[in-house]
Amino acid sequence: MKRYRGRGPLRLAALLLFLVTLQFAVRPFLGSARAAPDFLLVALLVFAIQARPGHAAIAGFLVGFVADALSPAAFGAGALAHTAVGYLAAWGKAVFFADHLLVNAGFFFVGCWVRDALVLLVGRHAEGSAVLWQLAFWSPLLALTTAATGVLVLFVFRGWLRVRFSE
Amino acid sequence: MGIAPERFTGRRDTFAFLICLLLSIMARVAPVEVQNAVVSGVTGTILAPFLAVQAQATQLREARGAYIRLVAQRDTAAAEATAVFPLQAENERLRSLLDLSGRIGISHVGAEVLRQSSAMEGFTLMLSAGRNRRVAVMAPVVTPEGLVGVVRTVGARTSVAILWTHPDFRASAMTEDGRTFGIIAPRGAEGLSTVLMELKGVPYVDVIPNGTRIFTSGRGSNIGGVYPRGIPIGQVISVGEQEEGWARTYIVRPAVHPGAVTHVIILTESVADVGDAFEGRR
Repeated sequence: MKRYRGRGPLRLAALLLFLVTLQFAVRPFLGSARAAPDFLLVALLVFAIQARPGHAAIAGFLVGFVADALSPAAFGAGALAHTAVGYLAAWGKAVFFADHLLVNAGFFFVGCWVRDALVLLVGRHAEGSAVLWQLAFWSPLLALTTAATGVLVLFVFRGWLRVRFSE
Repeated sequence: MGIAPERFTGRRDTFAFLICLLLSIMARVAPVEVQNAVVSGVTGTILAPFLAVQAQATQLREARGAYIRLVAQRDTAAAEATAVFPLQAENERLRSLLDLSGRIGISHVGAEVLRQSSAMEGFTLMLSAGRNRRVAVMAPVVTPEGLVGVVRTVGARTSVAILWTHPDFRASAMTEDGRTFGIIAPRGAEGLSTVLMELKGVPYVDVIPNGTRIFTSGRGSNIGGVYPRGIPIGQVISVGEQEEGWARTYIVRPAVHPGAVTHVIILTESVADVGDAFEGRR
């Protein structure tokens, strides 16, 4: 993956806006809210793939802030979790990951699950078996659908994002 | 792919990260009033168009579902037979909501639940009614089955309610005969999608048999308390802990499962008793 030049930033912004719109316009049609893909997180991780860790952290903070405003049970927990996930995703993408479809799927999966774990940890609202069920069942389910969506977005928009998948 | 040095973290990145973390922590520890003001501001401005889109999408989904069910009903007897149970359930749910709306006798508004993706979704609900429909903070949120929660923040066109699963949730409760009182609170998960409540502080001498229905007691509702008397909360299923021989805790199966709620009624007027509006109290 290469850094953006020319029309790249505009295309990236359009894609991110598209994903944010999907979160509100399409997600209600995708069944259970606990399992339907999280388009906001996909947008954050797509951005993190393209951006410097500092920018990804700021984007993460903004996405988390929005998430906190929508579900303010533990205000600030979402912002903190998304900041950490955005920063680590950008940093990890630069250091570790190859442009392989499955690796990218794992990237989205882990990002989503870690986000949920951090929200629960920082929010400190759920306890005992509730945390267990969330992290062992609902979060992996959400991470799975989010990962599938993330990979689909990368594949469909590979030209815009300048992603080349290796065999 | 190798390391991309130009994207590898530098001082500015670390600085930005730490600033964002600091802001997040400040948001986390900020007073609830400040948090509520921020939530109200954000949902009423930046997020307002997106939430309007979501409300439209939710309505569209409901309409689409109703249309599909209508078509299915018109189809062959076999197709109708397979569709009849969910259709009945949906019809009954909406009819009971309308019935409750007719019986409740005080000012109230109906609202749709706008589901979100956060792991905290199980503790709060975004509702499609706000100041535009005279929803106020601390307004009780109910369904025909019983108590859902209470409004915590109100935006221009949306509001956020904390559910009874929220750790901060408490309500004064009583048995259906009105003789025994206690405080109802969430108890945590019991399995994949089963969340329970507990009725705390019940005097040791008052024994509540299993199966007894629990309602809001309305204590303090005439002096600014939140919940009017008579909203169903749940049903006692067993005895929990006993506190040194002076009080018992009972485990209560809730009347309303938050995950199944699609529409709610928000009470917009203070009243002492709404018991006549709910099944089992009439």
